[in-house]
Amino acid sequence: MKVLVCIKRVPDTGGGFKLTSDNMRVDTTNVGFAISPHEECAVEEAIRIIEKHGGSSTVLTLGPQAAQEQLREAIAKGITSAILLEAEDYEFWDPAATAHAIAETVKPLGFDILLFGNESADTCNYQVGLRVAHLLDLPCVTGIKALEIQDGKALAKRETKDGWEVYEVALPAVFTVKEGINTPRHPSLRGIMSAKKVPIEQKKVTKPAPQLVRKALKKPQEGRHLEILGQGVDAVPKIIEKLREVGAI
Amino acid sequence: MTNFVGVDHFNIDELLTEEQKLIRNTVRRFVDEEVMPIIKDAFEAGRFPKELIPKIAALGLLGATLKEYGGAGIDSISYGLAMQELERGDTAIRSFCSVQNGLVIYPIYTFGSKEQKDYWLPKLMRGEAVGCFGLTEPEHGSDPGAMDTVAERDGDSFVLNGVKSWITNATLADVAVVWAKLDGVVRGFLVEKGTPGFTAVKIEHKMSARASDTGELYLNNCRIPKENMLPGAEGLRAPLMCLNQGRYAIAWGAIGAAMACYTEVVEYAKQRIQFDKPIASFQLVQEKLADMLTEITKAQLLCLRLGQLRDAGTIKPAQISLAKRNNVAMALQIARMARDLLGANGITLDYQTIRHMLNLESVYTLEGTHHIQTLILGQDITGISAFK
Repeated sequence: MKVLVCIKRVPDTGGGFKLTSDNMRVDTTNVGFAISPHEECAVEEAIRIIEKHGGSSTVLTLGPQAAQEQLREAIAKGITSAILLEAEDYEFWDPAATAHAIAETVKPLGFDILLFGNESADTCNYQVGLRVAHLLDLPCVTGIKALEIQDGKALAKRETKDGWEVYEVALPAVFTVKEGINTPRHPSLRGIMSAKKVPIEQKKVTKPAPQLVRKALKKPQEGRHLEILGQGVDAVPKIIEKLREVGAI
Repeated sequence: MTNFVGVDHFNIDELLTEEQKLIRNTVRRFVDEEVMPIIKDAFEAGRFPKELIPKIAALGLLGATLKEYGGAGIDSISYGLAMQELERGDTAIRSFCSVQNGLVIYPIYTFGSKEQKDYWLPKLMRGEAVGCFGLTEPEHGSDPGAMDTVAERDGDSFVLNGVKSWITNATLADVAVVWAKLDGVVRGFLVEKGTPGFTAVKIEHKMSARASDTGELYLNNCRIPKENMLPGAEGLRAPLMCLNQGRYAIAWGAIGAAMACYTEVVEYAKQRIQFDKPIASFQLVQEKLADMLTEITKAQLLCLRLGQLRDAGTIKPAQISLAKRNNVAMALQIARMARDLLGANGITLDYQTIRHMLNLESVYTLEGTHHIQTLILGQDITGISAFK
């Protein structure tokens, strides 16, 4: 079994963030970076598949040299090898360009399972996994919350409002993973120390003419809305109504 | 809960290696996910959350600096950053780790026989066994050389008598590293849980380090095999070498506690409205925040250099004392200032500041009081010991 997992280096803002003065990017001064959360679950899923079925796993990112940090974190957790598609201007790559570079790189490598996050935490385009599947002419199930491999096939489950959609897919196939599919492990200190010795395959990629061009970023309006719904049991119907309104129930 | 992002006003992260940052971030996240949700209740209940021990061990935090026996062999700065993050969660978690590492694994590794190392280190590092360190006595705290605990040779055994007090991990421990005088010379002994004549009793009613397992060890004609003496430890220097390991961890840990209080109060000050504006807009508040950030930054730089010296093998005990003394006093002061700014809210456990403030009263005293660190520095400066 050969498993690929694609990740993205995103700012670890801890909730709040600022934009740069030109409004073109998130100000990452004094901000750390992390693997995008859905992709962190994809990494965990890749490790679990290999632990159960044997084989090898590869983590890939399109990003700057500094993204080695995220690749090594994935290796520290148990991924076998890593590929960096080096693009210092990765923040300005659109999903089509990213998917094209990934598809071109992985096509000759013969992966059985290609895992992506459902969407990245920074741009939330929901596109790269789907586009890679299209470019490689592979089946794709998006937003999965369960994955089982049996007899060369995959059973992938998507959660719906009323239950589960279950897909049986022949391999090779692409899956985009949602948080909740698993609880990602922490890398061990021993894993971190071993990961630094693993060579990372690097390939420079050049951004093609983009189909999507970023003009500017705008921060959502801040401010908290306070509304007192009542007191004691009298407030219960209004609370239920409010929870329905925001889609919590 | 929002993930903790740390405090880095001087871009100190740029001075850290990729591994150091990843180790720090891993422990930071572990604390966010595993410690923060339970620590308030554990503190209030006076309970050490021992369910965390296997998870701490799985991370590789026990014996982390050793390259043998399955240790990760991390450097001193990585170790310090890990201790910083654990104490950002709570003193109890950092203490558990730094006692197991610096006061149990370290003396067994440094002074133990091959048999002692082979038997205990893998268990201690896998978290299958917990250790404690018995040096302080009810009547001898800052002056451990005056200890009353004695060991007597009797055939193939040693017989230990005495009482040890304020022992972290006391009732959890499967093995105690007990320091006792044999023919007037301080020696180290490994005393296993269940040995007849050996009991550990929890100290109740603490108002500080409540989530820490603190107790007393009673040795009453406690007979142990002669093989349980640490062959390489002779004289008071041996336990003092261990304390330097602990003080190093505390110097870093204090930064974590200070960061927790500082970040909490900055957010609070920005949101708390008085006189129609956030209290963060008042000069009296801003001055306190500026003082806190300045002191945290200075402490970070101090520890970074301390870690470099430790890895270079040129570190002096007085340098560790300087860092422990400065950083714990700094953290305690920040915790008190933050508690002040939190107003009445600051006296509840819904805010973490008062927990850290109370904990730091212990940290100020343990593994060498603030006064003792001062006198170690005084001796280093003048060449004159104030202890005698």
